Amino acid sequence: MVDTTIFTWIIAIFGTITFLPLMVVQLLMVLEPNGRKTKDIIIAKGEEWRDKTHLKAILGFAWADLIVILPLLISSYVGVFTGQLWGYMIWLALGILSIYFSIVFWVMEKEYTYPSLGWLAYYTYAWGFFLYWGLAAISHSVFQMSSL
Amino acid sequence: MEILKKKINRYSLGVWIAFLALILICFAWIMQIISLVDWERAIEIGVQDNSFTGNVTERAMADVERGVAVADILWALPLTIIAFIGLLREKFIGFIAAMMTFAICVYFPLFYIFRGSTNIDIVLVVTLLWAVPSLIGIFGLWTNRTNYVT
Repeated sequence: MVDTTIFTWIIAIFGTITFLPLMVVQLLMVLEPNGRKTKDIIIAKGEEWRDKTHLKAILGFAWADLIVILPLLISSYVGVFTGQLWGYMIWLALGILSIYFSIVFWVMEKEYTYPSLGWLAYYTYAWGFFLYWGLAAISHSVFQMSSL
Repeated sequence: MEILKKKINRYSLGVWIAFLALILICFAWIMQIISLVDWERAIEIGVQDNSFTGNVTERAMADVERGVAVADILWALPLTIIAFIGLLREKFIGFIAAMMTFAICVYFPLFYIFRGSTNIDIVLVVTLLWAVPSLIGIFGLWTNRTNYVT
């Protein structure tokens, strides 16, 4: 059994704040990919998909997040709060993916999103939180597992 | 699951499978290095699909692929090296790094599948060469976790 600490709670709450808005947006994307509200949030206000390939690429991320990331996140919470090792293993996996995609999006679209959002939004909820959460989840999981 | 604990020389079968999966994953990182060094050459030899000299859509997709390649080289490749050395030396850090590497290699083929526009050959290659061995690698290491996590 792995003990739940105050850091476990902080990371779990931070994870919820970080991932919940993303999952809501991805759900919107899957349900109404051509809806005005969806396009306003995902592309920019009043903008359209560049073409079918652009739409499919973003839809790919949405399905992957809802089918893989969301169940993993929920099951990780069950695991860590019941003191199971596998809960921390899932946090490790989610942490690494979160950092991985932070790098992908940094290279891919910082030049578009950063100017339109500004530094505060970009380095917090739009991009930064995913990187910070990934680092925190990995550090905490490694610490918890190594102190068994 | 018990068969994955069977010792073959120094390591258990599950750990050998993890080594095999890591070796296969190294081929992916070699392809990504080739891409970052010379993108158009990578397209010629079939490692990449979309050119930076193509139409707007192709350029946009090439941007995505370049982002993935940079993440692979900066983040996943060092982890793979740590995983390999760590597992060879039967260290906790090797177990952790291997699990994280496998998580990436199970997830990114799923993205290609869900995206729908990726060439079917690429989907098959990433699934059979990286996703499936990584998934088995996760089971192999998890079955033998007591060797690394007390």
